[in-house]
Amino acid sequence: MNKNRKKNMLSCLVGFIMLSLAACGSKQSGDNVMIFEEKAERSVTLFSPMEKTKPDVDNIARSASEKTVTMAEEALGITVDYITYTAEDYQDKTYDEVALDRARNHMDDLYLLNPDIIQKLAEENKLMDLSGLDNAKNLRDVVKTANVVDGKLVAIPQEIVAYGLFINKDLFDQYHLELPETPEDFLECCRVFQENGFETPVGANRWWLETFVFAQAFADLYNGGNTQTEIAALNSGEAKYSDYMRPGFEFLQEMIDCGYIDAKKAYMSEAIDGEGADFLAQKTPIVMAYWSAANSETAYGNPDFNMSVIGFPSNRGQMPIITITGFAISTNAPHAEDAMRTLNIMVSDEALQAYSETNKVISPSKNVSVDCIPALKPLNDKINEDIFVLASNAGMKLEQWGNTCIIVRNLLNGATVDECMAEFDRLQKEALTK
Amino acid sequence: MIIRMKKKQHKNKLDGSISLPLSIIIVFCILGAVVFSVAKKISVQMTESAIQNLSESLDLIESTIEAIINKEIEFQQLMAQEIALAQDPEQYVRTYQQNQTMTKISLIYTGKTQGISNTGEIFSEEGLDFSEGRTVNGLAVCKSYTNHMGTWAYTLKCPVVKEGKEIASLYIEYVYDSLDNSLPDGFYNKKAMLYIMDAQSERFVLKPKGMGERTAGHLNMEDFFRANDIQEEALRKEVSQSVKNRKNIMFHHDIRGKNSLIYMWAVNDGTLYLIGYVPIDAIQQEGTTVNQNILIVVIVMLVAFFLCCLLYYFNQRQQSKLRKEREQEREIHNKQLAEALQAAQIANSFKTTFLSNMSHDIRTPMNAVLGFTTLLARDAENPEKVRLYTKKIMASGQHLLSLINDILDISKIESGKVVLTTEEFTLHDLVSSVDAIIRPMANARNQHFYVEVTDILHEYLMGDETRINQILINLLSNAVKYTQEGGSIWFRIIGLKNHTPQCEHLRIEVQDNGYGMTPEYLKILFDAFTRAENNTTKNVQGTGLGMAITKSIVELMGGTIDVSSKVNEGTLFRVELELHASENEANKQFWAENGISQILVVENDEKICDYIGSLMQNVGVVIQTVPSTAKAVQLLSATNQMTYQLLLVDCAIIKAEGIPSVKMLQEMVLETMPTVLLVDCDVEQTQESLLMNNTKVLTKPFFVSAFQEKILEIKAEQNGQNAANTLDADSMEGLHFLAAEDNEINAEILRELLEMEGADCEIVENGQLAVERFERALENEFDAILMDVQMPVMNGYDATKLIRALDRKDANQIPIIAMTANAFAEDEKEALNSGMTVHLAKPINIEQLKKIVTQYVSKS
Repeated sequence: MNKNRKKNMLSCLVGFIMLSLAACGSKQSGDNVMIFEEKAERSVTLFSPMEKTKPDVDNIARSASEKTVTMAEEALGITVDYITYTAEDYQDKTYDEVALDRARNHMDDLYLLNPDIIQKLAEENKLMDLSGLDNAKNLRDVVKTANVVDGKLVAIPQEIVAYGLFINKDLFDQYHLELPETPEDFLECCRVFQENGFETPVGANRWWLETFVFAQAFADLYNGGNTQTEIAALNSGEAKYSDYMRPGFEFLQEMIDCGYIDAKKAYMSEAIDGEGADFLAQKTPIVMAYWSAANSETAYGNPDFNMSVIGFPSNRGQMPIITITGFAISTNAPHAEDAMRTLNIMVSDEALQAYSETNKVISPSKNVSVDCIPALKPLNDKINEDIFVLASNAGMKLEQWGNTCIIVRNLLNGATVDECMAEFDRLQKEALTK
Repeated sequence: MIIRMKKKQHKNKLDGSISLPLSIIIVFCILGAVVFSVAKKISVQMTESAIQNLSESLDLIESTIEAIINKEIEFQQLMAQEIALAQDPEQYVRTYQQNQTMTKISLIYTGKTQGISNTGEIFSEEGLDFSEGRTVNGLAVCKSYTNHMGTWAYTLKCPVVKEGKEIASLYIEYVYDSLDNSLPDGFYNKKAMLYIMDAQSERFVLKPKGMGERTAGHLNMEDFFRANDIQEEALRKEVSQSVKNRKNIMFHHDIRGKNSLIYMWAVNDGTLYLIGYVPIDAIQQEGTTVNQNILIVVIVMLVAFFLCCLLYYFNQRQQSKLRKEREQEREIHNKQLAEALQAAQIANSFKTTFLSNMSHDIRTPMNAVLGFTTLLARDAENPEKVRLYTKKIMASGQHLLSLINDILDISKIESGKVVLTTEEFTLHDLVSSVDAIIRPMANARNQHFYVEVTDILHEYLMGDETRINQILINLLSNAVKYTQEGGSIWFRIIGLKNHTPQCEHLRIEVQDNGYGMTPEYLKILFDAFTRAENNTTKNVQGTGLGMAITKSIVELMGGTIDVSSKVNEGTLFRVELELHASENEANKQFWAENGISQILVVENDEKICDYIGSLMQNVGVVIQTVPSTAKAVQLLSATNQMTYQLLLVDCAIIKAEGIPSVKMLQEMVLETMPTVLLVDCDVEQTQESLLMNNTKVLTKPFFVSAFQEKILEIKAEQNGQNAANTLDADSMEGLHFLAAEDNEINAEILRELLEMEGADCEIVENGQLAVERFERALENEFDAILMDVQMPVMNGYDATKLIRALDRKDANQIPIIAMTANAFAEDEKEALNSGMTVHLAKPINIEQLKKIVTQYVSKS
């Protein structure tokens, strides 16, 4: 036994010495001249928005997208360089404006675009047709509806962005209020809250008040069974956008007039930044935001109260508003082929599964689905029942999402409803004459 | 004094044992301190070097950017000169295409607010902020903005001077993206982050490729501070001030848990700033590596040191273990030596005691021999006294001989030289020989001697009859000696339950109602030279070796012996032996050969009936037992005369019914049918029965062999043979011997003994002479040769070999009897191996010699 132990120790010692000697040894090159070869690196640039980051907080949205980008990089041996832009304030150029400029000047390969920008660039033929991508065939119909322009699939999203009303259920219960289905219900809820000390029952920003408008404008159009007919009428000029939009604008005006919305504050507030704190502090019972805000720690992911996300009030009941941002490729992208391959992997079922699981969002792929948090269930149920309003539809000649947002700002800035409707008419005319 | 010294020694010991670990600890502390300070120094120096490298890198980037901008400025100035000389400056401007660096070229004539761009658009300063008045190499530069391409750009304004007069302003828009191409693809292995910041707006206008983490993005300085948790007011204030003063600054701060170096490097006199950070471990890789290597080396050294200590410790432990083992071994050896010494001393003491006892016991009869010999010389003329003295000398001589024999026996046994001779013998022979010796002894003391044999299955056994005989004689003779006159002695052989059918497990019991033994004596009974010494036993003759010899022989045979005794009540010895049964076919054939197939037994003792039955089983003879003569008569009446060939009648029947009843039975059977009477040692009965025809007496216990002998005697008598011849069988009358004996006295004794028997001998002094004499002798001149073994010139073995080798007919035939004091088994073996016929130990027993001579001489 002792002998064996000695042998083992000796062997260990010898091994250790050998390793040490080997570690100390080094290759001695005979040549003095060291040649550095340029590594041929393939890269694509991705233009995307960037949020103002808070210290020590993980940006899950970026993380989700990052995962899909990493998958593409590893699969293809490509480096994806990010070019980002965020407006400093409301006076600064918006992300959309910069995206438009960059895409028009073929500054980058890939762009993450909002629906209005997608439409504009698609009309200008600045975006490549992505319908040839292998993974395009997995997309839901609603995605194609929203992103097909003149038969070309111009953008593919990684999530279906659904907007809803984020409500403080505890306050509703406290004041014995049912969740509002119709605009009247909603106004009544606001009245009760205001009577009970909530100065501004609805928190708003300069970006998302349009969601109320869309719910009332297009609830029937998208859920009445005559969608294409009505769109065709709008596109031909037979029907007027202003007719669809008026109820929503009047609703907003009433809300402003009643003080349910602080128009001045909203006009200058960036999304969530302006109203988020009050909502979380339970000073504001109602705000509006997109699906991911319910899962995001930086937004409304961790409230101290029971939160519920419902659709916007309409004559057809609660209505989720769906917009579809998407990744698009510039027609003269410097590295078009690599960009196509990269995007193909980023929108594969595997990538979208990873994205959806990280962000807990609705996937654009038919083959991918994930569970949602309880707060989002009302909204999710509606969407699963195909009850929703598209806020961006490339099939409509007049771009909705961006234009309505700007016109709502006008309203916030003091324009009348009629003036806003006139603006819609003008834009429609402009769009139809293009 | 002694106590003080001891205390001092103890203290020294303690000090010594404490100081070594303490010294080691101190040494290691010093080593640790040295290593730490060296590592720290390296770290500091490498940090300084790293910071120096970083600042140089930043200087390089700064210089690159400045060079680019300067080239841009130079080009713009050149262009302004060209425009000044151009016929149509506006047209000149329109001809320029945008490129990667200059995205817009515009011209505004002096005094006008609008001009023209190379894109064809109307151009004005609206949207360009030159309010800060910043210049680069004399050219005004506006605040950075996002241009029509969606990228960050700046515009330099250059005056177009013609003939010393400013005629227009040339505006060229440059994009920051173009700088990216001239910057490296990351530094510090892409771990360093770098932004280009417009100092006026504090907007981050460019993040060069490879410069920093992708997941982080920063708008402006405020966002940068917030994102990286640089919240210290004082620090921010200082940084702001430095930037305002267009200074290059670096400071340490934790960024997401990593100690980092944040730098703000002015470019173009502070128009732009290079802002970023790098983790310290990225710039200090070499230092870290060096420190790590130092640490590894130190750890390895420590490990090696501890390994050495461990090895040393194990070695010491092993050494200590070996030392202990050796000490233990030494102790064991010492102990063994002490024990061996003690054993040797005891053995020596025993030897001394033995020799002393032996000497005493030998001297005693020698004294008698010499004493009576002296008396003989004195009273030679008195035949009565001569006879008396001769008798006493003979007795003493016999005693001395038996003592010497016993001593030889005990020596042989103790030296392991006793070899048991396993041969076939019968229990009958054993019992008979013992009875022949002991019964007369008992009779002489008016003692009753009873012999019983029961439950024996096998009469013919394999064993050393001589040694068994010796055991029995020892026990029985002691019983006779230590029983008072008129007492009783029982000798029983009992067959115990057999272990295997081939073995007979015997218990031999020797019981007496004599003096008995004390418990104290019982403990030393089997020790040599021990004899019960009391008033009753002190006159009993004996060597004191008998029981020791008996026990040794019993144990040699694989048996056991035990004794129980009570003073004045008697003693019981029990010997148990296991002997193999002999397959004696002759026993079975005897009956068939003698035409005996049925035997009528008249026996009223069931035990004896069973005993006879068991001994006679499987021999092909039917044993018919009847309890009385009346029954026998009945049986015989029912059968014919030829049915039974033999009649066996117990003496108890004779006692009860008398001899006539037996005679009556004889009349009912064939006249020639033998009758055997089974008797105890009753002289009366024996005498009367001898008068009956065809009748022989068989003394109990019943043995088949004895039974067969009696039948043969009866048959022999019937055939008229006389056994008288046997009486002369042992006579040596007329025999002529050649004797080789070198000792004169022994030679004389031999001659006299032989002459007494009517024989004569020719004596030679050694083996050589014996060979020569035999060679010269006529054929069959000598009847036998009596050869001593130890002789000068030639010993008996060699002489025998030579005699046997002689070329004459009688050389091989003549019996050569070894007569020697060498009495051990190997001596006998050697004698036989040399060619001798038989071995006879000295002193010569004439009867024994007669027997041997008769046996071998008559054969030859």
